[in-house]
Amino acid sequence: MALLDRHEWYDIARDTNWTPGYVSREELFPPELSDPYGIPVEEWETFDEPYKVSYREYVKIQREKDSSAYSVKAALSRSKFHDEAGEGWASVLKLHYGSVALTEYQACQFQARMVRFGPSPSMRNMATFGMLDELRHAQLQLFFPHELVHRDRQYDWAHEAAHTNNWAVVGGRHAFDDIMMCRDAITGTLMVSFAFETGLTNLQMIGLSTDAANVGDFTFANLITSIQSDEARHAQLGTPSIEIMVRNGRKKEAQQILDIAFWRMWRLFSITVGIPMDYYIPLEQRHLSFKEFMYEWVNRQYVRQVEDIGLERPWYWDEFLDDIENHHHCQQGGIWSWRPTVWWNPPGAVSPEERQWLEEKYPGWNASYGTYWDVITDNLLAGREEKTHPECLPIICNMCQIPISNRPGEPWKARVLQHEHEGRRYNFCTEPCRWIFTTDPDRYKDHESIVDRLYSGEIQPPTLDGVLAYMGIGVVSEGGHDGADYSWIEGFRAQAAE
Amino acid sequence: MDNFPILSRFQHDCHVKVVDTQASDTIAELAAACAHQSVGVHVKDQPGKILRVRPTTDDDNAEPFSPDITVKDAGLAMYDCIDVYFTDPQS
Repeated sequence: MALLDRHEWYDIARDTNWTPGYVSREELFPPELSDPYGIPVEEWETFDEPYKVSYREYVKIQREKDSSAYSVKAALSRSKFHDEAGEGWASVLKLHYGSVALTEYQACQFQARMVRFGPSPSMRNMATFGMLDELRHAQLQLFFPHELVHRDRQYDWAHEAAHTNNWAVVGGRHAFDDIMMCRDAITGTLMVSFAFETGLTNLQMIGLSTDAANVGDFTFANLITSIQSDEARHAQLGTPSIEIMVRNGRKKEAQQILDIAFWRMWRLFSITVGIPMDYYIPLEQRHLSFKEFMYEWVNRQYVRQVEDIGLERPWYWDEFLDDIENHHHCQQGGIWSWRPTVWWNPPGAVSPEERQWLEEKYPGWNASYGTYWDVITDNLLAGREEKTHPECLPIICNMCQIPISNRPGEPWKARVLQHEHEGRRYNFCTEPCRWIFTTDPDRYKDHESIVDRLYSGEIQPPTLDGVLAYMGIGVVSEGGHDGADYSWIEGFRAQAAE
Repeated sequence: MDNFPILSRFQHDCHVKVVDTQASDTIAELAAACAHQSVGVHVKDQPGKILRVRPTTDDDNAEPFSPDITVKDAGLAMYDCIDVYFTDPQS
């Protein structure tokens, strides 16, 4: 049978909508799951997705992508890459898979909500492909690390992380439950498709794929490219939704939605991307610092995109720029110091040469972060390894669930911002995290950070060992140790001997 | 459990740390407990200087507590933030 060209039938098919006869439209599309902003259905019917694809085309393309990803993996499965890559790159993979694999499955459920409750028929159509995309991403990113489990049990966190109360997982879960799992279809698409995917991850995947190719991990490079090509398509669900909101007098709400989500995702993104770029990727293979990447690929583009659709840059932009200089450096220090609490082996990665690179890329690094690592380096050189393990916990932000930290040394910027609500005191790392809480306290007020859980008696025994077991350490796998076996201090030992 | 957590913002440290204290501890003992978690771990010692403790405020200018009073007398409660900082013994 001859097939019509796509353009001859596409608009009719994807615009299929109907007037419900047995239930009201409000029952079919409850506002709390669909559109709480009261925008007329006729307006939603103007939703025009920029990327058009038919189901037949989708299946054909996806089959080719899958075939390519799996065949590259199969072809390289006997290579010695993982024997030779070193623990820095292994940390990139373990952090990535543990953080991302089942989050993709959550994203599949989120897209499914748009498929069912999206108020626009073309949005529902496009989200159907997005849902299938995310399912594929979850499958790929569960399957690929599974092959590595026999070599190192820490890769099993790809499957297990989401089922634990590891502090880093709690941070991711809090954020993604907020923006993805517990929002209506419209708010969710602004938060995920625009603020997160368009703003941050789509571009990051291009960088990550390049980094993977630079270190010779062509399996991972190919995998990420495969995922990114889906992301570039389904991320486009966000822009038409924002345009409709702005056109219908909901600019203020759209702005707030984006500002909440961009900050929430940024706090995680900086850790999962910034630390690998500036610390885990071997020095000779780094092509951009995280800061350079942010300025070149994210900042200008995000501002241009929000302004193009009639919104403004987030109110906290100056604080965001300052965070680019600091957040991931703080968390590299924290993650390394509390390394037994994570499922990868973070290298200190602050040898004399690496510190010189950090100073070049982040002027003032040595005078600030350098003082922190000086103490650690001195302890290691003097054989006091035990002093590199803090005996207490850092306080955790009640929004991003990340240790409250800031620039050390003379600047001494670490500071807790507090807020009282219904008799409970909440601790926040930054003004945006505190602000997000105040936008909807009922949404956030009952959550307890890992530190709150320790003092509320939920974690038993209330000791460091008890905390580790509660977080899945020693249960799923052993926790982390220095990924370079402290080899990065040898340059300082040599300097001291001269 | 008599212990409760105080948030230690120790001078020059990168992280704000949770330090257990109890109402009967003196401020000097609290300062020592905070120093144990920071000095020689993430912060260089400053020999010859002493530690003082003050409530954390926006402009960092609160009066320090007397080292001899107790945590209870200082009015410190769960999740109160304190600055712990080095100073000359004469100051």
